[in-house]
Amino acid sequence: MICTVYQLGRIGYREAYYLQRQLLKQRASGCIGNTLLILEHPPTITIGKSGKLQNILVSQEQLQNSGISIVSTDRGGDVTYHGPGQLIGYPIIDLRDRGKNVRQYVHDIEEVIIRTLNDFGINSCRDRNHAGVWVKGEEIAAIGLRIKRWGTMHGFALNVNTDLEKFSLINPCGCSDIKATSCSRLLSREVLMEEVTTVLLAHFSEVFNFQMEIRASNLVGSLSC
Amino acid sequence: MDITKYKFTREHEWICLESNNVGKVGLTYYAQSHLGDIVFLDLPEPGGKVEQFGKLGEVESVKAVSDVLSPASGVIMESNQAAIDEPGLVNKDPYGDGWLVKLKLDNLAELDALMNKSDYDEFMRQCEESSEQE
Repeated sequence: MICTVYQLGRIGYREAYYLQRQLLKQRASGCIGNTLLILEHPPTITIGKSGKLQNILVSQEQLQNSGISIVSTDRGGDVTYHGPGQLIGYPIIDLRDRGKNVRQYVHDIEEVIIRTLNDFGINSCRDRNHAGVWVKGEEIAAIGLRIKRWGTMHGFALNVNTDLEKFSLINPCGCSDIKATSCSRLLSREVLMEEVTTVLLAHFSEVFNFQMEIRASNLVGSLSC
Repeated sequence: MDITKYKFTREHEWICLESNNVGKVGLTYYAQSHLGDIVFLDLPEPGGKVEQFGKLGEVESVKAVSDVLSPASGVIMESNQAAIDEPGLVNKDPYGDGWLVKLKLDNLAELDALMNKSDYDEFMRQCEESSEQE
C-alpha cells in the first residue's frame, strides 16, 4: 500500500487543521490514498476534546505577548505545546484496512518513534497509562488523535530541538508532574529536523507496511474530488 | 442480561430492546478492547435525533477521540450518567452497566439489518482471520 508524504515546513495550526479535514474527506470517499503530513507549527498551545483550561498556567494575555496562540481542538488528550523544532506527523489513513483497531494504531505510532529514537542512540519506551513516548520518565513525543468513521487525523509531536522552557507554561497532558524532553537535550547537540524526518519516514514505512511516496508540498490538497 | 436479545452492527455497537420501541445502545466487548481504556464520553442530550449508522456520539481512549455510530434511527431518551461520570464502566461491563444511551426507535424494521449474536460471532471470526492474514 502506498502512503503519500507531504513535507509542509512551518504551517499554522488552523491551516493544517483545515487541510487535514479536507484530506480526511477525500480519503473517506476513496479519492486519495493514505497520506502523511510532516510539518512544524509556530508556537501554539492546543487543548484537546477533554482538556481543561486550568492546565494552562499563565494568562491568555501573557501568551499573546509572547506570541503563542491558543487553539481548542477536537483531538484526544489534554493540553500540549507545539512549536519550532518539534517534528509533527499527521497521518490520514483508513483504519478499516487495519482491523479498526485504535489501540493498535496508537501502539504502531509509538513504535515508529521508539525505533527512530533508537537510531539516534536514545532509548525510549511507552507508559502504560499515557499514550506517547518517554525517556527516563520524561515525555519526548505526545500523541493526540481524532478518528472519524475509521479515518484518522491529528497525530504525533516529537521534540527534536523544541524550546522546552515553553512546556512550563502548561501541565502537559493535564498532569502537573510531566516534564518534556527533546533529542537535542538528550544528545547534548543540535539535532536537525531533516535528519530525524528521514529516519522516521523509513520506520513509518516499515511499521505500517507502506511504500512512502514523497510529493512536492505545493501539490497537497490539489486534487479536486 | 440475555445476550441473545442483543443485535450488533459491523462497527461493533449493540442495541437491546427493553420495551416495544425503546432500546439500550452500547459498545461491544471487541470495541472497548480495541479502543483501550476509555476516559471520556460525549453523548447526545435527551430529545436529540439520530439516524441509523449516523454519528451518535464520541468516545475518547488512549489520546484518541473516535465516533460511536447509532444502530438505529430514533430519539435519545436518556444517556447513561453513570458511564459519563465513570467512562471506565464501558470497559468493565460493556453489555451491562456500561451502556451509552436509551433510544426510542423510529422504525423497528431497521433492526433486521443488524446481526444477532451468532452472526456477530461469525463476523468477528472473519475479522480476526483477515487481520491475521495481513
